[in-house]
Amino acid sequence: MSSFFRSPSLVYGAAIGLRVILLFYGAWQDANSPVKYTDIDYMVFTDASRYVSRGDSPYARDTYRYTPLLAWMLLPTTWAIPGFFSFGKALFALSDVVAGWLVAKSLVLTHQMSPERALKYASFWLLNPMVANISTRGSSEGLLGVLVIALLWAVLNRRITLAGILLGLGVHFKIYPFIYGVSIIWWLDNTKTTRTLTPSASASESRAAEPKTNSNTTTTTPVMAQIFDFITPCRIRLTLVSMLTFAALNAGMYLRYGTPFLQHTYFHHLTRIDHRHNFSPYSTLLYLSAASDSIDSGAGASGNFESLAFIPQLLLSVVLIPLVLGKKDLPGTMLAQTFAFVTFNKVCTSQYFLWYLIFLPFYLPTSSLLQKPRLGLLVALLWVVGQALWLQQGFYLEFLGVSSFAPGLFLASLGFFAVNAWILGIIVADVGRG
Amino acid sequence: MRRRITYIQPPHAPFHPSQTTLTPDTLTITNLDAAREERITLGFDELSGELWQVLKQCHQVHVRWARREQYQAVSPFSSRVSPGLHVFYSPVPSSGSSGLDSEALCTLLKKVFDSGLGCESPEKSFITPPILSARFASTAAYQFYELLPSLENLVTYTQQKHCGRDDKECYRRAELISSADSIDINYDSISHSLTMSGYWSKAPGGADGWTEVIQKYDGAKGQVEVGLLGAEPANEPEDIKMGGLLAVVGEDTELKPTLFSFPSRHHPHPEGAGYSVSFSPPTGLHPTMTISMPRETLKEPPGRPDAACALHAYLTLPSSVFGDKYQLSTSDELFVKSHNLAALRAVAGDTDLEAPDWFVSHWGSSWLLELATPSESDKSNEDWNVTIPLHLRYLHPSESGYRTTPVPWPVVFWACTAEDGTKMGMNPFDRVNLGWEGLFGPKSMFYQLQPSPANEDVVLVEELDVPVLTLRERDGFFQSRAIELGTVAVITLGFLWVLWKLGLVARSSGIRPQRREADKHAKAE
Repeated sequence: MSSFFRSPSLVYGAAIGLRVILLFYGAWQDANSPVKYTDIDYMVFTDASRYVSRGDSPYARDTYRYTPLLAWMLLPTTWAIPGFFSFGKALFALSDVVAGWLVAKSLVLTHQMSPERALKYASFWLLNPMVANISTRGSSEGLLGVLVIALLWAVLNRRITLAGILLGLGVHFKIYPFIYGVSIIWWLDNTKTTRTLTPSASASESRAAEPKTNSNTTTTTPVMAQIFDFITPCRIRLTLVSMLTFAALNAGMYLRYGTPFLQHTYFHHLTRIDHRHNFSPYSTLLYLSAASDSIDSGAGASGNFESLAFIPQLLLSVVLIPLVLGKKDLPGTMLAQTFAFVTFNKVCTSQYFLWYLIFLPFYLPTSSLLQKPRLGLLVALLWVVGQALWLQQGFYLEFLGVSSFAPGLFLASLGFFAVNAWILGIIVADVGRG
Repeated sequence: MRRRITYIQPPHAPFHPSQTTLTPDTLTITNLDAAREERITLGFDELSGELWQVLKQCHQVHVRWARREQYQAVSPFSSRVSPGLHVFYSPVPSSGSSGLDSEALCTLLKKVFDSGLGCESPEKSFITPPILSARFASTAAYQFYELLPSLENLVTYTQQKHCGRDDKECYRRAELISSADSIDINYDSISHSLTMSGYWSKAPGGADGWTEVIQKYDGAKGQVEVGLLGAEPANEPEDIKMGGLLAVVGEDTELKPTLFSFPSRHHPHPEGAGYSVSFSPPTGLHPTMTISMPRETLKEPPGRPDAACALHAYLTLPSSVFGDKYQLSTSDELFVKSHNLAALRAVAGDTDLEAPDWFVSHWGSSWLLELATPSESDKSNEDWNVTIPLHLRYLHPSESGYRTTPVPWPVVFWACTAEDGTKMGMNPFDRVNLGWEGLFGPKSMFYQLQPSPANEDVVLVEELDVPVLTLRERDGFFQSRAIELGTVAVITLGFLWVLWKLGLVARSSGIRPQRREADKHAKAE
């Protein structure tokens, strides 16, 4: 087994092979069964590409809620060449593998791992059947994965301009990566960027990984100096480049596609009215309040608590977690941020889980989940059982027509939330312990 | 005012001359076994101010209503619409976007048909069906539908607004509306006249045929015309031939024999083909509508050898139920075949895939689907089942956790090309503006399949149970408060737990990096 991980070509070969098999299997199932392997979202992307190929707006396709870049990227799916319909899936699957490769490379930097060991942990992503399944079915989360991990890799390697571009692009793509901007900026302090450091720090500079400053050098500086210390060329560059990238992309898309671009890519997420059942603890409350708003009866929810949902979510993922953990462990912080963002979000579907899954290889090596296998098993078990209970209620509702909104789905989503919040606590403690 | 009353006797129905008595003032009909149509045409000067105020702002208005119960639609009245109230409307083109002070039409419809109609204004409540091309300008721009089970309100409205206080005959005739199987009302600004027609497949109340005394028209302008007709074999496939007796009451001294034929858009399926509609349980949030047809009746209607025919279904769905137009318009053969569908030909209305019902202002959507038919080689004896995957919207919470939503049966028909030069408009019984016929070219013929519920009592409306959030108003634990407080409590606790963990980290090691390079290295080895 260990010889397997010693050979990168075997691991990457297996990762690629797994995806190629799934791609062919998917094509076979699609061609032979009315029940399709291909995800419904992929039909949305490719429909949008078809509109683009005819010179129309991708937003002519209902429920296309993505940047036009995605529809452009998938233009080859509209070419009348056999097999090219799967171009996008191959692209997403390739993104997966590249993301896994970057995970392995970054692990060497952050954890000073041997390439072999790094590859072992990267295999949590590379050889994860769930990941391969999701991208070969045509879900674009793989693209997000590679963007986010490339961002981390660029930051770790001090490629600040590249990081800025990736951050701007990531936020343009799916909004949520903005949370990483905060932790990266906080992490990028003098100790990691200036050359006038203590010998030990500059020695590690070449290895370019972990923050390792003497805390007493900064804690005693006066407030004003601290503020000036905070404003470093790197931080300014990252902020400006990412904002410029984000703004330029949006301006370009807005000029090309106008308001529908803004509406579907961004505003939709603020004003969405479809509160179909999902994993979020807020979903029952949102159903209740949306329904009672529309009839103005006193029977519904009165507190409007759901409009405050962003407070715990953003307080944790944008402020507190980056602040407390950011300087200790950047990928660990990004995992905790993402986990908090997804757990406390008003909408949550299973593809959101991929957002944090990509960071697991960075967290697992030092986590208490692997050090205390019983705890790890319990966490995995509760996470799976929490979802299974919810899915069972969802199945009753969706397919059997049983009214399981309350208490079924309501309690299941709160239960799943509780499990996730508990796990988040463990992650925070682990990352904080370092 | 002109009245035209047509009795259509089934073939082989008994008729004896003594069943009709024509006097200078009246025509008496006795125990006549027949279907009956009555059409009343009113000039605009005969309309009440209330009607005229609204109608004069309309380019055209067409109302179609069909009852929920199964009835026989005999030739030449064989065309059908789904049970319920259908309104088709076009504004006067010159006067602004809608042409109508926007709520007047809905206000009138509510007054006439039901104060509870979900009709606010044409812009908000009506959908705009696809207009195939400007050539078919006869297709109305706006379409409205609601399942209206009864016409009681129309009866009362007619009696109050149009009958004299003691006009017993007027009251009786208005009352007859409530037993009609279908009602048509047409107005257009070219003729400036309003026609109302009712169709009865049989005499009301289980009576032994029609017995009535038809008075001559008393006013200055108008007449009362009566026909006693039966269908005869026609010479051309497009044609319907009728033979029988005609009389204008008050003018003619005797019933005159007649035999005439005309091309017709609508024909009953010659072999009496039927269909039934069901939803197989459990319907969940994704009910599948099944249209079942006996195979032996699924033959193309006999027409001209060069005619092209295809089987179609036209669905009228309330907003709580919808189809996924992307799913249904797929070019994937496997999907289409597995449902015995051929193609989605037209769709209009609310096709939003996500919005809950309370965000949908329109009444719903209409769908024209071409259906597949069994291949020649298919020798199976089982019913041919076409399945249409549909989806439900979220509805308001209820005490029981369920709400029912009615889904009217679609109309199912063969559409065939007719010979060039066929003038369908010559038909004295022609019927257009049904929602579906306008989606075909003007030279199309339709062979209607009869809805045939398995059980005589079954109505042509399926009731779907939609699961919704259970919300008890008074007692019971899971009321809105509990959901609200439970959510807030659990989220707050989760938040505090993470805060506590963050606090512990901050207290023990601050927010500064750890010295752990060596540790980690050791662990990693």
